[in-house]
Amino acid sequence: MKALIVDDEPPARRELRRLLADFPWIEIVGEGGHIAEAAPQIEALTPALLFLDIQMPGGSGFDLLTRLEHVPQVIFTTAHDEHAVRAFEVNALDYLLKPIDPARLAAALARVRNENAALTSAPQPDAPLHQLFLRDGSQCWFVPLSEVRLLTSEGNYVRLSWGKRHPLLGRPLASIERRLDPKRFFRANRQQVINLECIESVEMGVNGRLHVQLREGPEVEISRRQARLFKSQLSI
Amino acid sequence: MMTNTARPPGPSSNAELIYWICQLSGWGAYTLMEILGAVTVDHITWANAIVTFVLLNATGMGLTHWLRSFMRRHCWNTLGIRMLARRCLAASFALATPPALATSFTSIAALHYPASDLENLPAPFGLDLALLITILLNLVNWALIFGIWLAIYFTTVGLRQRKDAALRQSELARALQQAELRLLKTQLNPHFLFNALNTVRSLIAEDPPRAQRAVTRLANTLRYTLGAGQNDLVSLSRELEIVADYLEIEKMRFEARLTIESEVAADAGNAQIPVMLLQTVVENAIKHGIAELPAGGVLRICAVLESGVLVLTVENPRPPASSPPTREGTGLRNAEERMRLLFDARASLELDLSQPALATTRIRIPQTP
Repeated sequence: MKALIVDDEPPARRELRRLLADFPWIEIVGEGGHIAEAAPQIEALTPALLFLDIQMPGGSGFDLLTRLEHVPQVIFTTAHDEHAVRAFEVNALDYLLKPIDPARLAAALARVRNENAALTSAPQPDAPLHQLFLRDGSQCWFVPLSEVRLLTSEGNYVRLSWGKRHPLLGRPLASIERRLDPKRFFRANRQQVINLECIESVEMGVNGRLHVQLREGPEVEISRRQARLFKSQLSI
Repeated sequence: MMTNTARPPGPSSNAELIYWICQLSGWGAYTLMEILGAVTVDHITWANAIVTFVLLNATGMGLTHWLRSFMRRHCWNTLGIRMLARRCLAASFALATPPALATSFTSIAALHYPASDLENLPAPFGLDLALLITILLNLVNWALIFGIWLAIYFTTVGLRQRKDAALRQSELARALQQAELRLLKTQLNPHFLFNALNTVRSLIAEDPPRAQRAVTRLANTLRYTLGAGQNDLVSLSRELEIVADYLEIEKMRFEARLTIESEVAADAGNAQIPVMLLQTVVENAIKHGIAELPAGGVLRICAVLESGVLVLTVENPRPPASSPPTREGTGLRNAEERMRLLFDARASLELDLSQPALATTRIRIPQTP
C-alpha cells in the first residue's frame, strides 16, 4: 500500500520511516514538510494512506485535506493536538501521538488494512471519488460518497445531504460532477445530482417531469430532458 | 449587585418558591387564628370574620411583598445591623398605618376593644379619645406583625447570604487553582515537550551521543522552568544558558529551518531580569515565527546595557498577513504582566510588528543600583 508522510520536522519524518520499516506492505512513496509541498505529491503519487501532522507552517493538516480532490485514508500524527482530531464527529480515522508507540502504530495499521480489504489496488487518478473531506466551522468529516443522497449546487459551493447533516463543500458542483460514479449519481436538474441508491419512490409529474422521493431526504424533480435518460438508465 | 445577577437560575427560583411558601403559610396561619378567635371569643358570624380577616391580611401580605421588592431595590441586605434595625422599625410603623386605620373603622375594632371599656373616657377638645386609642392600639398591633415578618425575612436572607458567600469562596478558590494549573501548562509548553521527546526518540537511532545531549538539555530546561517563581530575578547570563539549551533542542527539531544569531554585550551578562522572561519571548518567536514558516529563518537575540538600562531585542521572521498585534499569546501577556508588577512603569516590553515579515520584541529593564 502506497503511503505518504507529511510532517514539518525532519527527525519526526525519519522516525516514522524507521517505525514503518517493520511493515513491509507499506511503501512510502514520498514525504512533505508543509502542505504546499505535499499537495502536488499526493495528487501525482496517489497514495492510499497519509500520515499527517496537524500543526504545520503555512496551513494545518486539515487545510491540506480540504485542498485534495482524492482524499486518501488518513492517520493523524500529532504531539499535542489530539483534541483537534477527536473533534471529528463521524468516521474519524486514527490518530497517533508523538512519540509514536509502535504497538499503537501496529493497531492503527491493522485497522487500515481491514478497512482497505476491498480496495486492494491503489486508486487511479481518474477513478470515481470515494470520499470527501469537509470542514464546516469547527467540525470536520470524512464523508463516504455512497452515503450522500443529494448534491445541490449553491453558486460556487455544493450542499451535501448526508444523514441529518447538510455540510457545504467549498468547490463548485461542476468540478466534482465528472468525478462522481456514473452508476450511482445522476444529474436530476440544473442544480441537483441525486444518489440513485437512495431513491424511495418515483412519481410521474406534469409535462414529462418526474418526482423522485429520496429516503430521509427531500423530493427532487427530474427535468423533462433528464427524465428520458433516467428512464433508460433504470430501464423503466 | 453583580453577585445577585450572576447567581444561577436554579437556586434563585428555588429561593423564590420558598419565599412564597413562607408568605402564604405564615399569613394563612395568622388569618386562621384570628378568624377562630373572632368566632369563638367575640361571637362574630363565620362569614363576617372570614371576609374581614382574609381581606385585611391579604392587604398585609401585599404590603410585605411590596416592601420586599422595595428593600431589594435599595439593597437593604447590605446595610449594617443598626441601620437595618432603625429602618425596619420605621418601615413597620409606616406599613402599619393603612391597615391600622382600616381595622379601626371596621366592625372588628369595636369588638376587640369593647365600647364599654372606652365609652366613659372624656373627650377633650372635641377629640374622640376612644377612637384615637383604638387607632393607636391597632397601629402597634400591626407594626408588631410587620416587625416579626421583617425579623423572619432578614434572618432567612442573612443565612442564605452566608451560605452563598461560602460557596462563592470555594468557587473562587477552585478558579484560582485552575488558573495556576493553566499557567503551569503554558510554562511547560507541552507541544514543545512532546515534539522534543519525539526528536530524542529519532536521535537514539541516528546519533546516540546527540540524543544523550538532547536529554540533558531537556532536563535543564524543565528543571529551570519548574523551579522558577513568579517574582524571582536571575542574571541574564543564567537565563541565556537555559535559552541556549532550549534552542539547541529546537535546532534538532527544525534542523535547517532554524538559524540562531546571538549578540550579548560583555557588561550585560550580570544584568538582572525576571526569570523565564527571555525564555518566554524566545519560545514565542519560535512558535509564531519559525514554526509557521516552511523555510524557517533567523532568530536574533541581542542584549546591551544603555546607561543603566538593559535592552533586550529578539527578532524573528513571521508569516505575512498573520499574527495580528492583538494576538500575542498568553506567554507574552504573562511576561508583560510580571514585568509591570516587578518594575512598575520603568520597564517595558513591546512587540513591534511594523515590518511586514519581521517581529521584533523589545524589552527594557532598568538596572537600578
